[in-house]
Amino acid sequence: MANYFNTLPLREQLAQLAKCRFMDSSEFADGVEALKGKKMVVIGCGAQGLNQGLNLRDSGLDVSYALRPEAIAQKRQSWKNATENGFVVGTYEDLIPTADVVLNLTPDKQHTPVVTAVMPLMKKDACLSYSHGFNIVEEGMKIREDLTVIMVAPKCPGSEVRAEYVRGFGVPTLIAVHEDNDPKGEGLALAKAYAVGTGGHKAGVLMSSFIAEVKSDLMGEQTILCGMLQTGSILCFDKMVEEGIDAGYASRLIQFGWETITEALKYGGVTNMLDRLSNPAKIKAFDLSEELKVIMRPLYNKHQDDIISGHFSQTMMEDWANDDKNLLQWRADTAETNFEKTPAGDVEISEQEFFDNGILMVAMVKAGVELAFETMTAAGIIAESAYYESLHETPLIANTIARKKLYEMNATISDTAEYGCYLYNHACVPLLADFMKDIKTDVIGKGLSLEDTGVDNKRLIEVNTALRSHPVEAVGSVLRGHMADMKKIV
Amino acid sequence: MDSIRLDNILLNKVTVNFDDRFTLSEIDWTIEPNQHWVITGTNGAGKSALAAVLAGVGEIENGTITGLPKNVGLVSFEAQAELIAKELKKDDADIMDVISLGTPVHEMIFDNCQDPELAHSLVEKFGLSKLLDRAFRKLSTGETRKVMLIRALSNKPDLLILDEPFDGLDVDTLAMLQAHLASIVETTPMIVVLNRFDEMPDFITHVAYVDKGRVELTVDKKEENAFNELYQLLHLKTTDLDIPEADPVNKLPALDPSQPLVKLNQATIKYGDTVIVDKLDWIIERGQHWQLSGPNGSGKTCVLSLITGDHPQCYTNDIFVFGFQRGNGESIWQIKQFIGYVSTSLQWEYRVSTSCKNVIISGFYDSIGMYTKSTDNQKKIADQWLALLGMADRGDQPFNKLSYGDQRLLLIARAMVKHPPLLILDEPCLGLDDMNRQLVLALIEKICQGKETTVLYVNHHAEDKIKGIENYLGLKKNS
Repeated sequence: MANYFNTLPLREQLAQLAKCRFMDSSEFADGVEALKGKKMVVIGCGAQGLNQGLNLRDSGLDVSYALRPEAIAQKRQSWKNATENGFVVGTYEDLIPTADVVLNLTPDKQHTPVVTAVMPLMKKDACLSYSHGFNIVEEGMKIREDLTVIMVAPKCPGSEVRAEYVRGFGVPTLIAVHEDNDPKGEGLALAKAYAVGTGGHKAGVLMSSFIAEVKSDLMGEQTILCGMLQTGSILCFDKMVEEGIDAGYASRLIQFGWETITEALKYGGVTNMLDRLSNPAKIKAFDLSEELKVIMRPLYNKHQDDIISGHFSQTMMEDWANDDKNLLQWRADTAETNFEKTPAGDVEISEQEFFDNGILMVAMVKAGVELAFETMTAAGIIAESAYYESLHETPLIANTIARKKLYEMNATISDTAEYGCYLYNHACVPLLADFMKDIKTDVIGKGLSLEDTGVDNKRLIEVNTALRSHPVEAVGSVLRGHMADMKKIV
Repeated sequence: MDSIRLDNILLNKVTVNFDDRFTLSEIDWTIEPNQHWVITGTNGAGKSALAAVLAGVGEIENGTITGLPKNVGLVSFEAQAELIAKELKKDDADIMDVISLGTPVHEMIFDNCQDPELAHSLVEKFGLSKLLDRAFRKLSTGETRKVMLIRALSNKPDLLILDEPFDGLDVDTLAMLQAHLASIVETTPMIVVLNRFDEMPDFITHVAYVDKGRVELTVDKKEENAFNELYQLLHLKTTDLDIPEADPVNKLPALDPSQPLVKLNQATIKYGDTVIVDKLDWIIERGQHWQLSGPNGSGKTCVLSLITGDHPQCYTNDIFVFGFQRGNGESIWQIKQFIGYVSTSLQWEYRVSTSCKNVIISGFYDSIGMYTKSTDNQKKIADQWLALLGMADRGDQPFNKLSYGDQRLLLIARAMVKHPPLLILDEPCLGLDDMNRQLVLALIEKICQGKETTVLYVNHHAEDKIKGIENYLGLKKNS
């Protein structure tokens, strides 16, 4: 199998990368009709598989689960998930031949064996659905010509997909049709009905392409989302301890700090996150982030270039083939970092204090979000995609760190994201070594000790203008507007 | 001036019978010297009875009262009526065929008067000088009330009990009386029965709330929150409440009246080998209020979630709800539209930063938070609910800044706003203090009086009952 993206002519590559349109809610007026009465068989009963299935069934659709015989025989967790929730469970042989739609919700790494096993069993003219296009785009999986291939990708963890549905809402969702596999031209109708079934249409649906989804998703997850937060956690923690700040306090400030400051990001973008700081602190954070952007830009470019060229997926797949040697080693190393090993101290930190004492963290989030967004859009990915894959998802990942630090983050994200996160981290920590030498506790740990909170008018106006005029803010305010009622991530 | 030299007045599990007409039950109450109390509650709750007990009225069947002073002054409508009746009786009893004028006012005031000087000054202040020679029974109601007040005040009581003393007084007299009361605060402990909080004199230090012949709550006025909640409770209890109408535009689909609302057939919930609910049959007919009880872990919430569609195993059971046999292509939103639902866990889950008004409106959409624009009708109805809850001025306040009890009240309004055929209240008082419990129960009783909503009340105390609920289902814990 060859990298599908690389087989396309440049013209087509650019066209596919630029595919992204925010759909109007009127386009979902038909509801789940296109899927009504059809048999939907989900493969994989992890967080996405189970929760999407629950939503689809609660929307009146017919959902069952196909698992591997050993998962059924040994009553593995996936079997338990499906049966305890009252779903019909069967083997591939039992269920796939009856399916009108097969929902492949297994981890990326299993896509090739799963799809290879499933495809011959699928009935003619059925539909195969993905939640992530890696298998098609990077691995170049060829799907039988009579089958319709679509993608429906909720832009949140599975638990969130369910929680938002239950409260009467949904999560922003990306849909796509694989144009090489749309023999009857019904791909879009099926993808839209699927998005309605999971509640996604209430929170906003982006019509994208397999290619744009993969190239932007990979970029976001390995840079700002996971990589930057992991690198920032380790650097900020070690710096604080080195400067004599209580390790328990430092651990708490970071573990819960990302969540708190990115909550402000979720509500009002980078501007609002910076607005939470005092004027002198805001200017400080701005200056630090500008410095960080200059240092880190080549790294962001390299990640994007490797993703576009296919180099990243190639090296990762080599590691898959090598029994995940790199991944497992890096995972073990992460567990040994001082931040990971130091429990959050039993100290009270007020919401505002996370901002005041975490100026550098704010600067890192700003730099990471803007760099990822800028790099993606420069590579031809459209602003809406870039927004969702950078700013939008940052609070979601920050939330996993708040739960159980980096371990939880890396356990929750996909193997692909985890692999990319370690790559980023290994390059970024040494890259920021000099920068960190000049960092003191005024920007991480203690906050500015100011006798005079005055600032220069001209400088403040410059900073505010720069913040507000960044392109990620323009697209962000439009997309956030679609989420009529922003709610806290619980 | 004498300062207050009294012991604590202690009522210890006192039960008092009033001619078999009314009973005060198991009253525990301590009145310390230097405290001035207001007794409040709804009509018929027992406020006046409680006040009268301190003046020696009623037959004590049980318990003890200690520390009660001998000289207790009582001004009340009952005492006033009694005095007037006595005067009229004198008339009837006249056998001399002479028209009796009855006792003149000056006699009523100055016979056995402890402080004639004070009485004189009060007569003047209250404008009764010209009426001193008139027969007491010829006075107007307001005038007899003034006479009663002067008698009580000038008798230098060790405890002064005033039952609705401000009713029927003109503005000037009211001001005068209040000023006088304020001037004796140091010497005379006072118990004032009041229906309306806004008439409460500043010198009051404590409030006792009476309901159904019991002292349900006592509040120190310094505790501002508790005091405000009591105000709200009285509002709910004393205002003539009309539950706001449902949305006239977006009506719920009509249900077939011949079918039950809910029918569970051999409902079973199990996780692995653990059976939580075992072969439960249950039919809820329209208009049949139910109480579901059982210990923790008996599966109450599980059973409810089979009905609401929140339990995934509702698809593996034989469940008929609101015209739908579950698992035939219906969506949960088609089910939820017929249900209003309140529980502690809903309150925990309702963590969105939205306004109180939006929380109520979200009941039209069965959502947590608002994701669509509300209509003018919906806003209007939400305002009516806010007014009903005594929160008219809080519609725009963020929900998550409200007290726990106020949040619960709003969630009940949210559940009721669409007038659902079935209202499920899953332990609606859990985690609430006495005051908020009273508030919530008051609201539920109002709802039970309505006809279109069937109430399903869940409580793990089977004995904790609500008026109007007559069907009981008890669950046992499966071991």
